[in-house]
Amino acid sequence: MKKSIQFLCCCTALMALLLVQQTTAQTNPKLSDAEVASVAVVANQIDIRYANIAKERSASNEVKEFAQTMINDHTAVIEQAAALAKKLGVTPKDNAVSQSLLKGADKTEKDLRSKSGASFDKAYVDNEVNYHKAVISAIESLLIPETDNAELKSLLQNVLPAFKAHQGHAEMLQKKLSK
Amino acid sequence: MKDQWVKWKLVFGLLIWIGFLNGCSSPSDPLQEDGKAINDQKPATHTVEIKQMKFIPGTLTVNKEDTVIFINRDILTHDVTEELSRSWSSSPLKANETWVLTATESVNYFCSIHPVMKGNIVVK
Repeated sequence: MKKSIQFLCCCTALMALLLVQQTTAQTNPKLSDAEVASVAVVANQIDIRYANIAKERSASNEVKEFAQTMINDHTAVIEQAAALAKKLGVTPKDNAVSQSLLKGADKTEKDLRSKSGASFDKAYVDNEVNYHKAVISAIESLLIPETDNAELKSLLQNVLPAFKAHQGHAEMLQKKLSK
Repeated sequence: MKDQWVKWKLVFGLLIWIGFLNGCSSPSDPLQEDGKAINDQKPATHTVEIKQMKFIPGTLTVNKEDTVIFINRDILTHDVTEELSRSWSSSPLKANETWVLTATESVNYFCSIHPVMKGNIVVK
């Protein structure tokens, strides 16, 4: 009786594990290294787009300086990714994930452009916090696991601290703006 | 006999003069200070690496007048700025650029480009 209960427990655990793996496979689309490179480049380009809007529309020096840092840092990451792709002979390939990122960015850009003054600053900085959170999560749970090439994986791991610092910086601004 | 007496007076005067000079030497006499040879007091050189958005080591303990070399190992540009009132700052340091600081007092510093990056120097 005891053995049959143990067997039943093992079967249940195995089925649960299979279910989790299946769900994960469905949630995370399978990406090639060329597609991972495309997602990485697009994610950086999108934040540069937001920063350029902030430089146009914000009246706050602090927000403008933050936006300039985003432009400088994300441009440096794109250059690094482009140099690595060239070295590896990989051409970034458009895919469903990068398309989905761009679609979301178009919507956010429209929303940001409809605002001005303090309302714009709040919307931009709030979006920076959330966007960096989402990108960090995507790098950790999708891009790094999907990458086969060790150098590309290493680049993704190396940019994570920068993105986390950006999120922290945006949160500092968020606190200042709410005072 | 008279010549010898003059010679003795000269030697005696010279000895007094040397003694006087020794007595007037400052506490920072290069021969010794606090019982330690001056060679033990030469300023040391320390390195702080800027890597993965961190100052490594985050806390550095040094002697006064020691040299601290900051080297940027990140792909992003950083700087080193006094945190309380931004009383001093390095210029922006690109990848692999260095900046040298002479430690004169304990200080908290940060990267003004990425304000979440912080470090401090403790002068003993």
